[in-house]
Amino acid sequence: MADNGEPRVGVYVCHCGFNIAATVDVEAVRDEAATRPNVVVARDYQFMCSNAGQDLIKQDIDELGVNRVVVAACSPLMHEPTFRAAAEEADLNPYLVQIANIREQCAWVHDDRQAATLKAESLVNGAAARVALHEPLDPMYAEMNPATLVVGGGIAGIQAALSISDAGNDVYLVERKSTIGGMMAKFDKTFPTLDCAACILTPKMVSADRRDNLHLMTMCEVESVEGFVGNFTVKVRQKARFVTDACTSCGECLNVCPVNVPDPFNEYVSTRHAIHKAFPQAIPSTYVIEKQGSPPCMEACPIHQNAAGYVALIADGRFEEAAKLIRKRNPLPFVCGRVCYHPCETACSRGKVDDPVAIRGLKRLAMDWERENVADPEPPPAKHDYTEKVAVIGSGPAGLTCAFDLAQEGYQVTVFERHHKLGGMLAVGLPDYRCPPEIVERDLDYIRKTGVEFQTEVELGKDFKLADLLGNEPGFGFGAVFMALGAHRGLPLRVPGEDAEGVILGIDYLREINLGRPQPTGKKVAVIGGGNTAMDVARTARRQGAEVAILYRRTADEMPADLEEVEGAIAEGVKFDYLVSPLEVVLENGRVTGLKCITNELGEPDESGRARPVPIAGSEHVRKFDMVIPSVSQQPFRTWYKGGIPEKGQIGFTKWDTLIVEPDSLQTGVPGVFGGGDVVLGPASIVEAMGQGRRAAEAIDKYLQGKPLEDFTTHVAPPDPVRGFVKAPYEHGPTYDQIEKMPRARLEARDPRARLADYETVDFGLTEEQGIREASRCLHCGVCVECQSCQNICPPDAVRLDMKDEIVELEVGQILVATGFKSFDATRMTPYGYGRYDNVITSAEFERMLNSTGPTGGQILCKNGKPPRSVAIVHCVGSRDENYNRYCSRVCCMAALKFAHLVKDRTDAELYEFYIDMRAFGKGYEEFYLRVLDEGANVIRGKVVEVTPAKDHNGDGGHLMVRAEDTLIGRFREIPVDMVVLMGAIEPQPDADKVGRVFSLSRSPDGFFLERHPKLDPIGTTTDGVYVAGCAQGPKDIPDTVAQAQAAAADILGMIAKGEVIIEPVRATVQEHLCGGCKTCLSLCPYTAITFAEDGNNAVVNQALCKGCGTCVAACPAAAITGAGFTDEQILAELDGILSPLAQEVAT
Amino acid sequence: MKTLDPLAGPIAPGVLSKTEQELRTAFLEEIDRIPGGARLNQCIQCGTCTASCPVSHAMDVTPRQVIAMFRAGAIEELLESRTIWLCASCYHCTLRCPAQIHITDLIYALKRIAIEEGIFPARFPVHVMSETFTKNVKRYGRNYEVGLLLRYFLRTKPLGLFAQRRAGYALWRHGRIKLRPDKIKDIDQLRKIIAKAETFDLPQEKVTSEKVTAAVGYESIGR
Repeated sequence: MADNGEPRVGVYVCHCGFNIAATVDVEAVRDEAATRPNVVVARDYQFMCSNAGQDLIKQDIDELGVNRVVVAACSPLMHEPTFRAAAEEADLNPYLVQIANIREQCAWVHDDRQAATLKAESLVNGAAARVALHEPLDPMYAEMNPATLVVGGGIAGIQAALSISDAGNDVYLVERKSTIGGMMAKFDKTFPTLDCAACILTPKMVSADRRDNLHLMTMCEVESVEGFVGNFTVKVRQKARFVTDACTSCGECLNVCPVNVPDPFNEYVSTRHAIHKAFPQAIPSTYVIEKQGSPPCMEACPIHQNAAGYVALIADGRFEEAAKLIRKRNPLPFVCGRVCYHPCETACSRGKVDDPVAIRGLKRLAMDWERENVADPEPPPAKHDYTEKVAVIGSGPAGLTCAFDLAQEGYQVTVFERHHKLGGMLAVGLPDYRCPPEIVERDLDYIRKTGVEFQTEVELGKDFKLADLLGNEPGFGFGAVFMALGAHRGLPLRVPGEDAEGVILGIDYLREINLGRPQPTGKKVAVIGGGNTAMDVARTARRQGAEVAILYRRTADEMPADLEEVEGAIAEGVKFDYLVSPLEVVLENGRVTGLKCITNELGEPDESGRARPVPIAGSEHVRKFDMVIPSVSQQPFRTWYKGGIPEKGQIGFTKWDTLIVEPDSLQTGVPGVFGGGDVVLGPASIVEAMGQGRRAAEAIDKYLQGKPLEDFTTHVAPPDPVRGFVKAPYEHGPTYDQIEKMPRARLEARDPRARLADYETVDFGLTEEQGIREASRCLHCGVCVECQSCQNICPPDAVRLDMKDEIVELEVGQILVATGFKSFDATRMTPYGYGRYDNVITSAEFERMLNSTGPTGGQILCKNGKPPRSVAIVHCVGSRDENYNRYCSRVCCMAALKFAHLVKDRTDAELYEFYIDMRAFGKGYEEFYLRVLDEGANVIRGKVVEVTPAKDHNGDGGHLMVRAEDTLIGRFREIPVDMVVLMGAIEPQPDADKVGRVFSLSRSPDGFFLERHPKLDPIGTTTDGVYVAGCAQGPKDIPDTVAQAQAAAADILGMIAKGEVIIEPVRATVQEHLCGGCKTCLSLCPYTAITFAEDGNNAVVNQALCKGCGTCVAACPAAAITGAGFTDEQILAELDGILSPLAQEVAT
Repeated sequence: MKTLDPLAGPIAPGVLSKTEQELRTAFLEEIDRIPGGARLNQCIQCGTCTASCPVSHAMDVTPRQVIAMFRAGAIEELLESRTIWLCASCYHCTLRCPAQIHITDLIYALKRIAIEEGIFPARFPVHVMSETFTKNVKRYGRNYEVGLLLRYFLRTKPLGLFAQRRAGYALWRHGRIKLRPDKIKDIDQLRKIIAKAETFDLPQEKVTSEKVTAAVGYESIGR
C-alpha cells in the first residue's frame, strides 16, 4: 500500500441493479468523479455490496495505493459497515471510507434523470473532497453491564425477562400495576387454538417469580434513565403497596374492608375492595391497598381524624369499630360529634355532587351507639412508663388533647383549671343546648382513665406562678408546661356608654349563665356581632325570656357564624338586623334604654376579603333596648404574666395578647414552656385548638426525650380546606356529574318553642338506619379510607398504612421497553352508544365477561341478567378510521372470531360479525375463520353506522338495532340484537410521550414507539441499548409479541456475551483553550453529553454519551468544539465539492 | 337511515319472520340432500362463481350474491330473481369454487323450493319450460320439443306461437323436430331409477370443520 501521506481517493459508483442506474447516469457520475482532485480511480459496478464489488475496493487499495474511499450507493444505514469492513480487511482505517447516498437521496426521489445525475455528481464530489481530509479514527469501547431492565410485565416483558435470566443474567422486570401478566392475564381464551390464556401465561408468571436473578418490581415506574448503552443508571419509583411481603394471601382482609370501588381489572364492570389482589393467580400474590392520597375530610381535619374511615364502617353497620377508630385520634369524640365546626364537611367531595356527608352527625351516632352498647370503653395502655411530669394549664380542648396524648405516651400529666367546671370554653363558652355538660363529662371520664390528674379552681398568676411549675417545690417539678389558657376576655365595642349597667360582654354573659351564677337578662336585648358567640348569646338570651335582635354591620352573606347556628337562631325567634353599626349606648339614669346606630352599605373588600361596611351619612337612628351584649371578639387575658423566668427566658405576646410561639414546636420564649389553642390562635375552633394540643404533645415528648424540636409528624390542616378532589373522588372512579344525587340526612330538630323552655340539645341524633344510609353517601375519596380494619385483622400483620413511595436506583446495561397498549375509548364513537346503552360493551369488557374469574363467572349475560338472544360484534372500532386511527389494529378480527365461537359455544344466541375486511393472516387463522363460519356465525361485510335502542314487532323494547350496509349485496341492513360488542382499537399508552422521553424513544405518526428499521430491525430503537417489543411498538397478537420479545432477548444476550460496546468515534471534542465558558452547548445537547468543568471553566463532552450530532459544533460561538469526522475543514471541503458541478452548470 | 327499506332479516333479536323461517328450513333441508352442501357456510364471497358464469351478465343477482342474499335472509327475494332460472348448468362455478361449494346444486335446490312454494320471477316464466322438460323426460325418457314449445307458449304467451311459427316450420322441414314424441327403449328402467332416487333420504352432512380441526388441533388442547 503506497502511502506517502497524499490522499489518493477511489470512487466507486453502484448501480444497485436498476435502483440507481435507472434514474442516475452512473457512468457520467463516474467520469465526473474521475476529474476531481485527489481522485486516482473511479469505477462503477452493478452491485458494490457484492463480494466482487468489495473486492474492487480492496484490490485498488492494494494495487493503486488508494487510501481514501468513496462509495456512491445506498444509505449508510445499510452498507456503511460493509464497506468499512472491506477497507479494514485491506488494512485501511474504516473511518477513511465515506458513503455518498445516491439511492435514497437521488434515484428514489427524483424522476428527472438529468437532475438526479447532477445531484449524484454533487454528492459524490462532496464526499471525495471531504474524505481527502479524513483522519484515521479508532473506535472506543465501554464495558457492558450484564444486568437488564425490562419495562412492562405483560407477556412480552415476562417472556424476554425469562429468556435473559435463563442465560444467567440479572433482570429487573418493572411493572406499574400490582401484578405482572398484563393484558393477557385478563383474557379467557386465545385465538386460534382456543387455549386458555391463564393456563399458558401463569406458568411463565410463576417461573418469573421463582428466579433469583429475575427481580420482579411491581407497582414501580421508571422515573429517569441516565447513561448510555452498557451503563444506564435508572431511577425507579417504588409505589407504596401498603402490604408487606409477609402477606400470606389469606384474604381475611377482604371480609373487613368496607370500601367497594369499580374494579379496573374487570374493566370497571364489577367492584372490588380497597385492599385486593387483581386476580387469583396474581404474581406477586401479596395483596395491595389502593390508596390515592388521604381523603380530603381527613386532610382538612386539624387532628387528622379519619372521617372517611369511620363513615365507611358506619355504612357497613359496624358502629363499635367506628367508635374505636374515632377514639384513636380524638380525645373529645362526644364533644366533636356535636359542636365541631366540621372542616371535614367543608372539604367533603360529596359536596360536589349534592351536599357533603353529615360527618359530624355520624360521629355523634357512633359515639352514642358506643354509650348505649359498650359498657366501659377503656383507653389503650400507655406506650411507655415515664416519670417526667407535665403541667397543662387550662382544661379546654387544646389542654385536654395535649394531656390525653402525653398520658397515652406515658407521662404524668396534671391539668390546672381555674373554674370549678372542667372543659374551658366547652364548659363556660358554649351554651348547654349546644354542648351539654354530661357530654363533656363523658369525654373527661375517658381522659381520666389515662391517668391524667385534674386540679380545679387553681388560677395561674394567683394560686401559682409559671416559675413554680418548673421549680422543684412539692406538688410541682414539672418537666414541661403546656399553656392552654384560652381567649376568655371579651372585646368591648369602644363606643360611649359601654360601661353602664345593662351592657355585658357576650363571653362574660355566657360564662355567668354556664357557671350557674345569677345573671339578669333584659326584656329587649341587642346582641352585637355575627360570629358563633353572638349566636350563642342570642339564643341563650331567648331562653332567658328576652326578645333578641342581632345587629351585624355587614349582610348575612358575610356573617362568619355557622349556617346551622344562624338557622337555629332564626327558628328560635332571634331577629337579625344587617348593615347596622352601634355608635353609642343610650342611657337614662345610668341604665340602658337604647342603642344609637348608623346604617351601612357595602364597600370595597378589606384584607379579609369581605366587603367593608361603609356608614351612610345621616342615617343615624336610635333603637330601643334595655340590654346590650357586645359579642364581637375575644382575646386572651395576660394579667397573669408578671415577667419571665430568670435565666430561662421571656414569653412574648402579640399586640392581640396572644402568645408568641415557634410555628412548628409551639414552644414559647421559655424552653419547656409551650403554648397552644386560643391563647395562641386567638378565638378559633375546638378542633383547631385540639390540633395544637396534639402538636404540643409531640413537641413536649421530643423536648423531654432530649430530641431536637424538628421533623414533626402530627398533621397540620390547611387553613382553608379544599372541597374534594378535582374531577372524581378517585382516579378511574365515576366523575361527580355521573354520581347519582341522594339527599343529605337532616338531624331532626325539636320544636323551637319547646327548645326555648330549657337548655336541652336542640336536635336529635340520627337513627342507625339513617346513619347507615347517610354513611353510604360517602364516595371513598382516594379509595382506601384508612379505617384500619385490615391492619387490625391481618394475621401476619402485613398491613402498613404509613408506607411511602421509594426511589430505587438500578444499574443496567440494556433496556427493553414493553409497555403495551391501551384499548380505544369507545365513548368517542358516539353513534355506537357505548356508555349510553347498557348492553353495548367493549371487547375488553367482553373478555372479562368470558373469563371464569370475571364479573359473571364466564357467563355471557345482558345487564338484566338474561342471556342474549342475539349478539352483534362490530369490527374496526377506532381502527381504519381517519377520525381516530388510520392503522389496522391487527388482532381485532381474530379476537372477534374467537368471541363468535365462544358465543356460539356458550349460548344459543344468533351472532353477527360486522367487518370491513376479514384479516385472518396468521398460521391457522383462516382455518379458524372457516370454522367459525361453519359454526353458524353470520358475517356481514360493512361498517356499522349506528346502534340505537329498538322495539320489536310486538312493541317489546329493551334491545338494540344495529345498522350497516351489507356491501356484498349492496343493501342496507338493520339487525335487532340484545348485545353489541365493540372491537376497540389498540392504541399507544396515554403516557407514551412521557415514557418515550424517559427512554429517548421516537414515536411513529401512529404514536407507537419507533423501531430502528421497520423490516430489518423491528426491535432496536434509535437509542443504542434500548429495545422495544410487543404492542408498545405497534398492534400485534400474542404470537408476534412473544416472537418479538424473544428476538429482543436474543439481541440483548448477544450484547451481553460480547461484554463490551463499541462506541463510534465520531464525537465532539472541546478545545479547552478556546472555550469561553458560555455554556450555550450545555442546554442544546440532546443527549445531555456536555457538562461544565467548574475548575477549568470550560465545557466537557462525555465521549460515551455524545452521538456526534454536531449541534454543539455549530452552536459554539468560539468555534471551540470540533466534531471528530466533522471538522470545519471537512465540512467546507464537502460543501465546495457539492457545489462544484452546480457551479459548472451555472457557468455553462 | 329510516327512509331506506332494510332487507328482510330478523324481526327481533334472534327471531326470524315466519316466512323466512319456513323458506330457510326448506332450503337447509334441500342443502342437506346435496353431498357437501353444508360447505355453503364456508363461502368467502370471492366472486369466482360470478366471473366464471357464462350467463351472469344476464342475471339480476349474481351467483355470489345468491349466497350473500341467502345469508342476509332474503330467500323470498332470491326465489323471485331470474338468476336461478337462467343458470345453464354448465358447472363452471362449482368446478372453480375455491371453497368447493356446489353452487349449481344450490341453484337446483332453490329451483325446487320455488316450484314447491310457487314463487317465481315476474314476467319471466322460464320455470314453466323447466317443469315441462322434467315431465317430458319422466314420460318419454327424453325431450319432446314440439310438446315442450306448445305447452310453454300456451301456458305463458299463446300469441308467441304465431311469432315462432316460421322457425318451427323450418326446423320440422329439416327434421330437427318431430311432431310426435319419441319414447326411449326400456322407459320402465328409467322410471325405476327415478323412483328409487326419490326414496333416498340422504343423511345430513357436516364435513367441513373436520379438516380444520385436524389441522390445528383445537380439541386436543381443550379449553
